[in-house]
Amino acid sequence: MRPTQPALSFEQAPPISVPYRFFLTAPLFGAVAGLILAVLGPETLQSRWSPGALAMTHLIVVDFMLQAMCGSLLQFVAVVAGANIWRPRLVAAVVHPMITAGAIFLASAFLFGQQALFVAAAAVFVVALGFFLTVMFVALLRTPARGMSIHVLRVAVFGLLVTVILGATLALTLGLGDHLQSDWSLLALINVHVAWGLGGWALMLVIGVSYLVVPMFQLTPSYPAWLMRFLPAALFVALCLWSLQLFAPDATSQKWQAIVGLAGAALGALYAVTTLRLQAQRKRRQVDPTFIFWRVAMLSLVAFALSWLVLEVLPGLGADLRAPLWLGVLVIPGLFLSVITGMLYKIMPFLNWLHLQQQGGTVVTSPNMKQMIPERAMRGQMRLHITALGLLLGAVLWPALAIPAGLAFTASCLWLEWNLIGAARVYKRHRDRIRAGIGTGA
Amino acid sequence: MPSPRIIDGRGMEPPEPLERVLAELPKLAQDEELLLLVRCEPLPLYAILAKNGFGYSSKLQADGSNEVRISKIQSRT
Repeated sequence: MRPTQPALSFEQAPPISVPYRFFLTAPLFGAVAGLILAVLGPETLQSRWSPGALAMTHLIVVDFMLQAMCGSLLQFVAVVAGANIWRPRLVAAVVHPMITAGAIFLASAFLFGQQALFVAAAAVFVVALGFFLTVMFVALLRTPARGMSIHVLRVAVFGLLVTVILGATLALTLGLGDHLQSDWSLLALINVHVAWGLGGWALMLVIGVSYLVVPMFQLTPSYPAWLMRFLPAALFVALCLWSLQLFAPDATSQKWQAIVGLAGAALGALYAVTTLRLQAQRKRRQVDPTFIFWRVAMLSLVAFALSWLVLEVLPGLGADLRAPLWLGVLVIPGLFLSVITGMLYKIMPFLNWLHLQQQGGTVVTSPNMKQMIPERAMRGQMRLHITALGLLLGAVLWPALAIPAGLAFTASCLWLEWNLIGAARVYKRHRDRIRAGIGTGA
Repeated sequence: MPSPRIIDGRGMEPPEPLERVLAELPKLAQDEELLLLVRCEPLPLYAILAKNGFGYSSKLQADGSNEVRISKIQSRT
């Protein structure tokens, strides 16, 4: 077989600063969210509608989750999917500060009840994410790579588009009040916005990425082919059916929506149980922090699905104002922050290695992946994350735990930040040595 | 052509298969081939190969893994 020239060009693969500016910002806003809980105390977790709960939630889902996911996606589609991102440095320079500002506007709007800040947040998000989504859609449509992961990533990007449109509509409704006429019920709008944000964007992205990274990094068997096709398609259909409540918010529709909600939760459980089974069949017995973070995430998703079922079966319990908070803690810090943290502990060392390798060619040796972030530091932060998760769940049931939960969550986010800064510093140190022509050694 | 050097990276965690390939490349003779077996398509490796004067061909296997054959690009003299 004759060797061929590469069919794909990777010259436009994003510089390392593109994902890193997102990664290094993300945990800081988690720390701020924890401080809000610690300062405002138990009343924050009395209801999902409390200003503190709304501010915390949006700081975490936008400034932690969305930042980390946008940074990952920019790198992932280039490195793994072989797609060329248009002007990645420019995209990051526009999108990153705007998302940061938008989330601060939104959290402040909830905390201080400032209507004008809702309008400012909506405007900033529409511009920043409109730009980001356009670039991503083009990259994902033009990539020569094939496979289920790419299809699922396209659906996830569509999920983010729906989330942004609904979120901007909500922010404008809250910001402009009586000036904006809408036929949609506010609660239905919120239900659909949350479902697309957490299910259509975040979970869809995790599913798409996991098809590649779980077998690759955890050395498990591949996901079953039927599941890889069925899961995203079924989740997408469930989200579309869930969205029908916007158009028929009556009692019959509510009964029907309960079934759709249960189906969505069951799909989440199916994905989680499959991932846990694959992990149990892995070839390497070594258990690293990423493996445990994924395990915690999948167990949280199973607990979320079971909780959803219990809350449907026992309407008295489901009517408790704290029920959505319980579900929210399981799915946001439990599922998504666990996956994100676990993946950051793989992505940053891998990107360090890759970029150093590309600069040093085959002449200079890059440092070992395991030297990028000390294992002890990752394990310590992981234990603190799990403790914070336990305290947050406890605080939903026993409000007195709100302050220690907030402080533990802040400490966990700051420790994560410290570990990520350490990885970035390792990269800079070795890059400087390559440029100086010294060579790095192992 | 001599029988290829083989790196079976299917049970290795990234970037170990790539590290093994990079360690072998300087030893590769002009008419020699390096065969890499990996579970995913190693796109980042292709950029490194191109930059360092190596060509490749990749073939998707029935089990979803990839067989990548690497050799030096013949100089046009």
